[in-house]
Amino acid sequence: MGNKTSLANNGKAATVRSTFSRQTSITISINADASIVWALLTNAADYPRWNSTVISIDGKIALGEKISLKSVLDPKRTFKLKVKDFEAGKKLVWGDAMGERIYTITNDQKGGVIFSMSEKIGGPLFPLFAKMIPPFDSSFERFAADLKKEAEIIMTSK
Amino acid sequence: MENYTVETFNREFERNSGQLKSYLLRMTASVKDAEDIVHDTYIKAVDKLHSFRGESSLKTWLFTIASNLAKDNLRFQKRWTENVTDITKAAALQNKDFFAEAMHIAATSPQGRFEVKEHIAFCFTCISKSLPLEQQLCIFLKEVYEFKVGEIATILVTNDAMVKYYLHTGRSKMISIFDGRCALINKEGVCHQCSELNGIFNPKQNTQQELTKIDLVKEAEKGDKEHLFDLRMQILKEIDPFESNAAALQQHHLEHNRHVMDKYVTES
Repeated sequence: MGNKTSLANNGKAATVRSTFSRQTSITISINADASIVWALLTNAADYPRWNSTVISIDGKIALGEKISLKSVLDPKRTFKLKVKDFEAGKKLVWGDAMGERIYTITNDQKGGVIFSMSEKIGGPLFPLFAKMIPPFDSSFERFAADLKKEAEIIMTSK
Repeated sequence: MENYTVETFNREFERNSGQLKSYLLRMTASVKDAEDIVHDTYIKAVDKLHSFRGESSLKTWLFTIASNLAKDNLRFQKRWTENVTDITKAAALQNKDFFAEAMHIAATSPQGRFEVKEHIAFCFTCISKSLPLEQQLCIFLKEVYEFKVGEIATILVTNDAMVKYYLHTGRSKMISIFDGRCALINKEGVCHQCSELNGIFNPKQNTQQELTKIDLVKEAEKGDKEHLFDLRMQILKEIDPFESNAAALQQHHLEHNRHVMDKYVTES
């Protein structure tokens, strides 16, 4: 179990595919206070400054709010998403009818956090458009690495 | 811990009141609000003096009270926009009284002298009002009034990590705004307001020569944005907006900008 946890925290994405769904997940350890990671994840306007996978997020990231996200993965498209879960400092979920993105932050008992992110897309029509959706692995790895870098820079600032 | 009598407290308050007043002017952009909050800070501090345990310095305690009052004052006001200098310039050009009043102040007030450095500080105050309030508070407390991260956490009733977050994001945002706008540090910058105003108020001066006396301008070509931000903060540290040579003139500009921006953000 110990080995499994440390391997899972290495910032490498993994994707599990089935006929009707696809789920990409990543976990990374971050040497920063949970409040910093949470603040970065919930400040919509600030995303493009530190996150190389996001072009823009308009709207307020709060429970029940709707946001418009433009991603470098598909720059011509604007994703209209709803914030479905918002547990301050712990869990954030946004999504649409196609799927949802889940972010979790867990204290590692050493002053840092374990950050996890997963996205599951799918449904009865998923096999029809599955090939049109690009893989998320590389984008997830950049997202996690950017978050780690930015949070740790802030944590070590004077 | 030092036990303060009202008399010794009054002496300490007097020692800190100048910084408190300038801090509050920079937060509220209103001379009246700044003076009122300093007064209310005094009243509240005297009332609560018996509960001051010396867990922080008296200065930190006073800034805590003043910051809470400032937050109450600003809580329901919309934040300004980062193009504040464009909006207020357009409004000034359409207001025939603006320059007449400013010229009168320049001609008659002992604190009516236009100086580019003063305008740089004034400009920072206006643009910082486009930041989220916590970021603006943290930047002023750390960069201008030299509080430590832990002291700012006490003043704002938060933790060190969040103060670091507010400082980092606020600094990054202000660096980005000035890099995009300020012609003093970027030849492509769209805002030349301090040079233009210097030409109006000091027509006999060679503005370019004046600008090269300022470290912020001298160092601009090296392109170290963090360093340029620190030099900008150094200018703010050296200027008391109530006591400087340009205080009356800059307060007039600030009052104008506050009226224009409060109306602009309310209507937009």
